[in-house]
Amino acid sequence: MRYEGAKLHTLLAGEYVLGLLRGPARRRFERLMMESRALAAEVAQWESHFASLALSLEPVEPPGYLLWRLMGRVRAESRPRSERLRNTFWRTWAVAATLLLAVIVVTERYAPPPEQKAAQFALMSDAQGKPLWLISIHPEAGRVDMKAIGPEALPAGKSYELWMIPDGGKPVPMGLMNQTGTASETVPAELLARLGHAKALAISLEPQGGSPTGQPTGPVLWVAPLVTT
Amino acid sequence: MPAVPADLKDRNRQLTDLLHACAQGRQAAFQELYRQVSPQLFAVLVRILKRRDLAEEALQDALLSVWRNAGSYAADKGAPMTWLVSICRYRALDMLRREKREVSLDTDADGDEDGALSALAGVQEDPVNVSRAEERRLEECMGRLNDGQQRSVRLAYVDGCTHEEIAVRVGSPVGTVKSWVRRGLESLKRCLEAA
Repeated sequence: MRYEGAKLHTLLAGEYVLGLLRGPARRRFERLMMESRALAAEVAQWESHFASLALSLEPVEPPGYLLWRLMGRVRAESRPRSERLRNTFWRTWAVAATLLLAVIVVTERYAPPPEQKAAQFALMSDAQGKPLWLISIHPEAGRVDMKAIGPEALPAGKSYELWMIPDGGKPVPMGLMNQTGTASETVPAELLARLGHAKALAISLEPQGGSPTGQPTGPVLWVAPLVTT
Repeated sequence: MPAVPADLKDRNRQLTDLLHACAQGRQAAFQELYRQVSPQLFAVLVRILKRRDLAEEALQDALLSVWRNAGSYAADKGAPMTWLVSICRYRALDMLRREKREVSLDTDADGDEDGALSALAGVQEDPVNVSRAEERRLEECMGRLNDGQQRSVRLAYVDGCTHEEIAVRVGSPVGTVKSWVRRGLESLKRCLEAA
């Protein structure tokens, strides 16, 4: 079946939205869309129609550290804009005052509650007591470090994923485990606050890249109590 | 056109306010937007990309681009959530293509599509009446497609499958899948415009 005259807009726009125009065809279509309002409108219509399929999927909570990373990039991008301001005394002063205010606001909002300043540790060991990873949480830095001591070999196509086991409630994903050296993940303030009351950390075996559901899907291999210094 | 439910209207207005605030560089608004939309967008990305780490990367890239381009959102792009879903889906499809290219070179050059695109290039801008058919019951119209058409359209949109991948999944030749998709799109269009 070939494309025919008047339906062309509609069909190609539909295939574009479905993701079925690939390679050079896709690029050519995008070029055409830049100059044809009719084509852009067809695309927008298909996007609106099909969006209901996407919105009918069961929501999946992204891991807490993602917002934190994203805000880091947003802040990094916002900086040059202020640096572009002319360097007169008053402008500098205004920028400094704004930054100071921002720091205060951010600190107020995101600083962990004072009682959670102490670092927490968990030593993951195998059944024979051989240490696998040392996990340390540094609330003041908003960071969790995972030091590989003698980690278990990773099966092909799999990842080990770290979970916080809160005092009541579902496990919370904290990141993927490293096989060598020390890896760090950023921990957002709200997660730090919950870690202050958490009893244990756990590691499960997941598909490569981590659990697709936001909850452990594979066996929980190791659990270690969280010790506060 | 069916009335848009009041709570949906409120939600659209709220998301539009947040996008507007993002366009003015307000980071707190961006965090609130993230809180409201990220679970739904993440679900879309996990479904297409299958791997959670890739989905995280895609969500981060897509939302960063939302932050940068919030000011370009306008009503002609559809409801705010439609716009956000589209940004995420296209990002995921780009990533899929990138991943696949590492394995095999793009072999999608399709003579059929090429000819159609050339024909399109010659078409003059015509002031098509864009009927605002949003919020129509897509599901109802999908229900009128035959099984092959329906599965092909769903596998493409929801799972990000190519014609070839759909052909494997449904066990039919690629040519059949292509015509299912086209006929499916035609009937959908007719149904959605008649509704």
